[in-house]
Amino acid sequence: MTTDEPLLRVRGLKVGFPTSDGLVKASDAIDLTIRTGETLALLGETGSGKTVLGMAILRLLQPNTRIEGEILYRGRDLLSLPEREMQKVRGREIAVVLQNSGTSFNPVLRVGDQIAEAITLHRGLKGPDAEAAAVDLLDRVRIADPARMAREYPHRFSGGMRERALIALALACNPSFLIADEPTRGLDAVTRREILSLFSEINRDRSVLFITHDIEAAATLAARVAVMYAGEIVEIGPVDAVLSSPVHPYTRGLLGSLPERGMRPIPGSAPSLIAPPAGCRFSPRCTFAVGRCEKEHPGLVEVGPGHYARCMLYD
Amino acid sequence: MRLAYVLRRLLYSALAFGISVTIMFAILHFMPGDYITQYLEAIYTIAPPEVVEAYNHAYGLDRPLIEQYFSYLIGVLQGDWGYSLSYSRPVLDVVCEKLVWTLVLLLPATVLSAIVGIVIGAYSGWKRGSKADIVLLNGMIFLRAIPSYWLALVILIIFAFYLGFFPLGGYVSLSALDTGIDPLDVMSHAALPIFTLFLFSVTGIYYLMRNSMLMTAGEDYIVTARSKGLDDPTILWRHAVRNAMLPTVTMIAFQCARMLAGSIFVETVFSWPGLGMLTYEAIEVRDFPLLQGILLIDTLFVIVANIGADMIYPFIDPRVEVGS
Amino acid sequence: MRSFGVTPHARSSIRVWRWVTVSGHNVALYLSLGVILVYCAIALFAPVIAPFDPFAMSGSPLAPPDATHLLGTNDLAQDIFSRLIWGTRATLILGFLGAAVSVVMDTIIGIVAGYYGGRVDEAVMRFVDVMMTIPAFPLLLVVTIFFRPGIYVTAVIMGLFGGLNGVRIIRSQVLTLAVSDFVVGTKALGAGDGYIMGRHILPNILPLVGVKFVTSAQHFMLVGIGLGFLGIGDQNLVDWGQMIERASQNGGIILGLWWWLIPPGLAVTVISLALAWFAYAWEERINPRFQVMRV
Repeated sequence: MTTDEPLLRVRGLKVGFPTSDGLVKASDAIDLTIRTGETLALLGETGSGKTVLGMAILRLLQPNTRIEGEILYRGRDLLSLPEREMQKVRGREIAVVLQNSGTSFNPVLRVGDQIAEAITLHRGLKGPDAEAAAVDLLDRVRIADPARMAREYPHRFSGGMRERALIALALACNPSFLIADEPTRGLDAVTRREILSLFSEINRDRSVLFITHDIEAAATLAARVAVMYAGEIVEIGPVDAVLSSPVHPYTRGLLGSLPERGMRPIPGSAPSLIAPPAGCRFSPRCTFAVGRCEKEHPGLVEVGPGHYARCMLYD
Repeated sequence: MRLAYVLRRLLYSALAFGISVTIMFAILHFMPGDYITQYLEAIYTIAPPEVVEAYNHAYGLDRPLIEQYFSYLIGVLQGDWGYSLSYSRPVLDVVCEKLVWTLVLLLPATVLSAIVGIVIGAYSGWKRGSKADIVLLNGMIFLRAIPSYWLALVILIIFAFYLGFFPLGGYVSLSALDTGIDPLDVMSHAALPIFTLFLFSVTGIYYLMRNSMLMTAGEDYIVTARSKGLDDPTILWRHAVRNAMLPTVTMIAFQCARMLAGSIFVETVFSWPGLGMLTYEAIEVRDFPLLQGILLIDTLFVIVANIGADMIYPFIDPRVEVGS
Repeated sequence: MRSFGVTPHARSSIRVWRWVTVSGHNVALYLSLGVILVYCAIALFAPVIAPFDPFAMSGSPLAPPDATHLLGTNDLAQDIFSRLIWGTRATLILGFLGAAVSVVMDTIIGIVAGYYGGRVDEAVMRFVDVMMTIPAFPLLLVVTIFFRPGIYVTAVIMGLFGGLNGVRIIRSQVLTLAVSDFVVGTKALGAGDGYIMGRHILPNILPLVGVKFVTSAQHFMLVGIGLGFLGIGDQNLVDWGQMIERASQNGGIILGLWWWLIPPGLAVTVISLALAWFAYAWEERINPRFQVMRV
C-alpha cells in the first residue's frame, strides 16, 4: 500500500559535532527515501552514524550540532521548522523507539503515566481516559497484566517488557513514521524473536526506519536495506538483493563476518570521523582496492533495479 | 521489614550518639585546667579554696574520671544532663526551652532555602551557560563567601536600622510585657534572622541542585521526553527536577545542621533567645555543664536530621526500598 | 554515553586585544589568584606597609578618617588601617594552616578507604559518619574557650574538627582509580600498597585535593574569624573578627562608624570570594566537560 510520493525524503544530510579535537562528521551527504508503509533497515557498526541519522530526523541532537541538508516529511522540510512546530511532529507524526530501554524511562514516574503523557499531549484524552488508553497500548504490545504494570515503575519491568513498553510509548499516538533504534540489542534469543514478531505485526501499515546491527532482524522485517559505513551509505537496495548478493566490499565483509557464514572479521578498524580518508572511506581496509579508490570519492552507482552501491569497481 | 529497618537505624543512631558523647567527654575532660575554677574566676577574681572545693564536690569533679564518665552517660540517658552553673536550673530544661526558639528560626529557613534552592538550582542547571545561569551562579558564589556574622550585621543595619522595616533585635517588643506575646510581633522579629539563615543555607542547596541537574539533563529519559513532543518547560519541571532533586534531600539535612552552628552568630547579632545565643552566653560565663548539654543537643539534632532525610528518601525515589 | 539533551557550555569570552581572546574562566582564575597573592604579600610585609603599630595608641579614640589615619581610630585610639593590614596575617594563617591539616587528614583517610575498599572502606566510612554527627563548630568553641590556645594551635584544632567533609569526594575518586587498569597492573608487578598509594594514586587525585584545599581555606578563614567575632580569638594578634565585634559593641552602628565596621568585613569577604572563585575556575578546568559521543 505504497503511494508514489515518498513519506520521507532525506537530501544531502550532513551532521557534524564540534568537539575540542575538531568537527566529527557523523553523517556525510546522506540521501534516503522511505515510502508509506515501507520498512527500511539501516545496517552498520557502532560509530557508522546510523543512530545519528535517526536522531537527526526528529532533531533530537545536541543544540550545537551542525546540520545541513533537507529532511522532507510529507513535503515539509523538518530542519527548517520552528521548535514549536517540531514538537507537534514528534510523537504524533514521527516517533522513535530509543536505543537503551533500560535508561529511556524516567525512573521516578510510573510507566503508565509516561505513556499517558504522550496520549494527553497529542490525542487530547485526559486523566482516566488517557490512562485507559495507555493500558490498552501495553496490552497491544503483549505485556501481561497491563493494568497492574501500568501503575508500576520502570525498574520493575524486565528487559523485554521495557522494550515493549518503549514500543507502546512510541506508538501511543499512532505515528505514520516510526524510527526504531536497535530494539533487539541486549535481549536474549527468545525475547528477541518475540519483539521482532511484535514489530512486524504492529507496524503493518506504518513506515519504519529500522536501525540495527542485527542482519537477521533486517532480513526479517525490512523491504529495503541501507548499509552505512563511516557516516555514509555505502549500499542500498531491496533486502534480498543486498543481503543475498551484496555488492559493496564492506557489505560482503559484514555478511562474511556472521557466524553462520564463516565468521571472518574485516581487518582494520573504522576510520576517524574527524579526518576521514580522502577517496573511498573503506579503501584502507578493502581487499579489492585499486589506486583510484584512494584518490577519488565514489558516488552511489546503480548496480541493479533499485540497488545502489558506493564503489569504484562498479562505476 | 520496614519495622526492622527503622529499629536498626535507631540502634545505629543511638550507638553513634553514644560514641559522639564519649569522644566529646574525652576531649573536654582531658583539657588542662578545670572548668569549675574557670567559672568561679569569671565571677570572683580569686576563688577561695573552700568555695572551689565545695563546687568540685557538688559537681562530682573530685571523683575519678571513669566514674564521672559513666555517671554522666547514665544521667544523659535518664534525662539528667547536669546542672547549669549560670542558670541554676537543670541543663536539659534550659536547652529544651531555647531549642524551641531556635526551631522557630530554623524550620522556616530550611523550608524556604530548600524550595528556593531547588527551583533556581534546577533552572540554572537546565539553562547552563545562559545569562541567567551565569548571574545566578556567580551571585551564589558571592553570597557564600560572605561570613554569616557580617551578613547578619549588614542586614540588621540596612533593614532594621536604616529602613526601619523590622525591629532591631529580641523576639518580642517591650509591649509584650503588658499585652503578652503576640505571634505577629514575634514573626516580625523573626523575619530578619530567618532571612539571614535562609541566605546562609540556600547556596549549598542551589549548587548541589545545579550540579545534579547538569547530570540529569544528559540522561536518556530526557531524550525520550523530548521525542514525545513535550516542550522544554514541561520536560524541566515534570521530568528533570524530580530526578535531580534526589541528592538534595541529604544536603538539606546537612544544611540544617550547618544552620544550627550558624545560628550562634545570627542569634547573637539579632539578640534572638535561642540555642545559638545560649551558646554565646554560656561561653562568656564559662558555664561548662551547659555547654556540654548544648553539644549534646546539637549532636542529637544532626542525628535526627539525618534519620529524617533517610526516612524521606524512599518516598521520593521509588527505586529505593526502605531498608537498603 | 549520549548527552543529547545537554545545553552546551557557552564559553564567555572577552576580546582583549585583536589577537587575544581571554576566556571568562581564565579571567576568574587569574584575577582571583592575583587577589590571593596580594593578600599574602600584605600579610608578609605588614610591618612595612602599616603606618602604625596596631596596638599602639596613636591618636584620639573614635576619630573619623583623615590623612594620617586612613580609616580613623577605634575606641582604644588604635589606627584602624594598620590593624586592618596586620589582621591579614591571622586570617591567612587560620585559613591555610587549618586547610592544610584538614586536607592531609581527608586525603589519608580517603586514600586508605578507597584503595582497600570492602570492609576497610565500610568501617572507615561508618566511623566518618559518626564523627560527622559531632557538632564541630560548637565543640571548637568550647575547646578554644577553655584551652585558650594560640593561633597556630587553634588552626590545627579547627582543621582536625571541621575537616571530614572532603573524605567522600576523595574516596570515590580513589575507588575508581583503585580498580583501574594501571593500578591493577602495578599490583601484578608486585608493588606494595603503600608504594601504589603514594606513587600512583596520590598524583592522580592531586588536582581534586588542591581544589579541596582552596575551598577549605575559605571555610576555615571564615570560621577562624568567626571565633574572633565571638571574642575567643587569640588576643595577642589583630583579628578582623575581633574588629567587627568591637565595632558593633562600641556603638559602631548607632554612631555610624562605617570606617571601623565595614572594612574588616569587606576584607574577609574579598579574600573569601577570591578563594571561592579560584576554586571554582580551577574545578571547571579539571573536570571533563565535553563527553565524547558514541553513536
